[in-house]
Amino acid sequence: MDPGDVTLFERSLGDATRRATGADLDAALDDLGWPDALIDDPQVAVSLLFRLQGESGATSSSLGRVMAHALGLADGSTTVLPAVGGCAPPGTVDDGWLRVDGLAPATLPDRPTALVVASTIGGATSACTVATASLDLHPVAGLDPDIGLLRVNGEIETVGSQVDVPAGPWPAAVALGRRAVAHELIGASRTMLDLACDHARGRIQFDRPIASFQAVRHRLAEALVAVAMAEAMLEAAWLDPTPDTSAMAKAVAGRQAKTTARHCQQVLAGIGFTVEHPFHRYVRRTLVLDALLGTAASLTTALGVELVDQRRLPPLLPL
Amino acid sequence: MTGDGGAVDGAAEGLAEFRTDLDAWLDGHTDALAPGFEGAGTLDQQMAQLAKVKRLVFDAGWMRSGWPQRVGGLGGSTLTRAYLGEALTARDLVEPGLYSMTEVLAPTMIDYAAPELAAAMVPALLRGDETWCQGFSEPDAGSNLAALACRAERTDAGWRVTGQKVWTSLAQYAQRCVLLTRSGPPEAAHRGITALFVDMDSPGITVRPIGTMHGSPEFSELFFDGVVVPFDRMLGEEGGGWAVAMDLLPFERSTSLWHRAAFLHRRLQELLETAPPGAIDPYRLGEATQLLYAFRARSRATQHRMAEGDRLGPETSIDKVLLATAEQTVFDLIADALVAEVTMGDDPVSGRWRTEYLYSRAASIYGGSAEIQRNIIARRLLDLGDDR
Repeated sequence: MDPGDVTLFERSLGDATRRATGADLDAALDDLGWPDALIDDPQVAVSLLFRLQGESGATSSSLGRVMAHALGLADGSTTVLPAVGGCAPPGTVDDGWLRVDGLAPATLPDRPTALVVASTIGGATSACTVATASLDLHPVAGLDPDIGLLRVNGEIETVGSQVDVPAGPWPAAVALGRRAVAHELIGASRTMLDLACDHARGRIQFDRPIASFQAVRHRLAEALVAVAMAEAMLEAAWLDPTPDTSAMAKAVAGRQAKTTARHCQQVLAGIGFTVEHPFHRYVRRTLVLDALLGTAASLTTALGVELVDQRRLPPLLPL
Repeated sequence: MTGDGGAVDGAAEGLAEFRTDLDAWLDGHTDALAPGFEGAGTLDQQMAQLAKVKRLVFDAGWMRSGWPQRVGGLGGSTLTRAYLGEALTARDLVEPGLYSMTEVLAPTMIDYAAPELAAAMVPALLRGDETWCQGFSEPDAGSNLAALACRAERTDAGWRVTGQKVWTSLAQYAQRCVLLTRSGPPEAAHRGITALFVDMDSPGITVRPIGTMHGSPEFSELFFDGVVVPFDRMLGEEGGGWAVAMDLLPFERSTSLWHRAAFLHRRLQELLETAPPGAIDPYRLGEATQLLYAFRARSRATQHRMAEGDRLGPETSIDKVLLATAEQTVFDLIADALVAEVTMGDDPVSGRWRTEYLYSRAASIYGGSAEIQRNIIARRLLDLGDDR
């Protein structure tokens, strides 16, 4: 896509994510040609859509589609996502049974089949097409019911009930999925910062906007630094899109979203604690997004453990 | 998503070639370039090493790449000189803070000095024949730079300068100083400032180095007592010194910090190789690594923006905050993992860890304190209006 096309596409996606969510947004994305963009220019398709989803708070089934794309399944399939907090394939195959423990968008029941990536005893992974009707689906309420996730469980006899499909390596799917969620975290962080800055400029105390107080200004500056750090790390992960850089980008985006939320919540004070202000939705969303495909805390510890073990830092991104 | 594909690819290709050739040259001149001391060395030793390395890389042409031909450079992308600084730092051939002064002062000279003056002076800085310093801060004008009071009065012989500067890095080694003076009335604030390029051997200049907690007296007090500076040594217009300062500070906050990522990467790697088993907390190591890579990513993007001709501005305050955060996090980790070396080690290797740990405390102070950077971010980047 040339820059002009990207701008137009961004505007269209922005309209769609502000107007629609869930199944409606999925339909709008199909109309806008987002699935084709995902094939032609994954960076543009993923970075624009997920940032805009994060900014507006809309949801779609796109994360599963992005991960299916990374697995080489460009037929509009959507994969079942790993269970909360983890990044292991949602399925395990053992002794003739496929056990499933994962997450999926609320639109999964509209599809006749689901794609489940499963690990086998030998450590290999295979992708299985499973009848949706054979899975137990329960809406996840939890911290952020608006994100529209289902808990997916099942125990399915593998003989005759599923079809193996050739698929690329799972770590590549996790890596692309992590970059997508990192964009969404950054989008949500940007909105939290905008909400807090608007409030600080408009809220008058002691006859002046609270934005004029250095204690408030420094919190908001700290939040912008946090967002900028996450953006820089994510941009680097696209330049060198390995599982390691993608994990770092996801971890930084998750941690910095929490930093942003903390500072912005303090600036928004009372009104930000109510459901009369939209801020709480973004706090909920960032916490749940952090829990998808590995939390910042678990990814950071895993990185440190690996480095202590190998005694070797990864190379720096070349100039 | 690349914009102007041709130009970008051309710069990338030039950089790749420069990188390969420079790496090969550095590999072939290891002995000539190596420092002749162990550990951090004294400041005198570091300065002598810096001069030696700059002369060798200038004479071989590397140091001239990325600088304009009119000041003795070879032209080409500024990315090449960023890579040179990175390569010298990664190989532990120069102290990165000392090396960075060139990246701050040479661009200012090129932009603001009369062309003949820049052409005469800049090559000596690039070649390491000279050291330059930056006389900005004063006892009563630190963060509030516009309050500076060092007087410059017009006389028949030129500007006559009287006053005091402080925190002037490397002044005791410097042959020249980029000096901000008060040429108008104090109430003119930032409009009454003139920048001068001063010979440090002029009569009337006294330099007093200041001892520092990390043991390297890298900055000084400077006293000017009726120092005469010729009119042709003005940088920019009379009363235009604020613009010189505002254009210089983004370099101090961004591109000159680029090679600190290479420095931190080298030291963190050395920590991994030497720390006793169990001494490193994995979470903190993971976080320090992420902060370092994120700073590097931000700094890289800034280098590319400069190479494409963008004007650097208040957004560089984010680079500075990220560097300070990364550097202090890395050295907090080091100080805990190597507690015996940092607190009680008396060998050169321990002394170096200790010096660098202490210097990391200054990362949120020099070049505009963390608070000043946040003030800039709030006013200029978040549009939060005035702060009073």
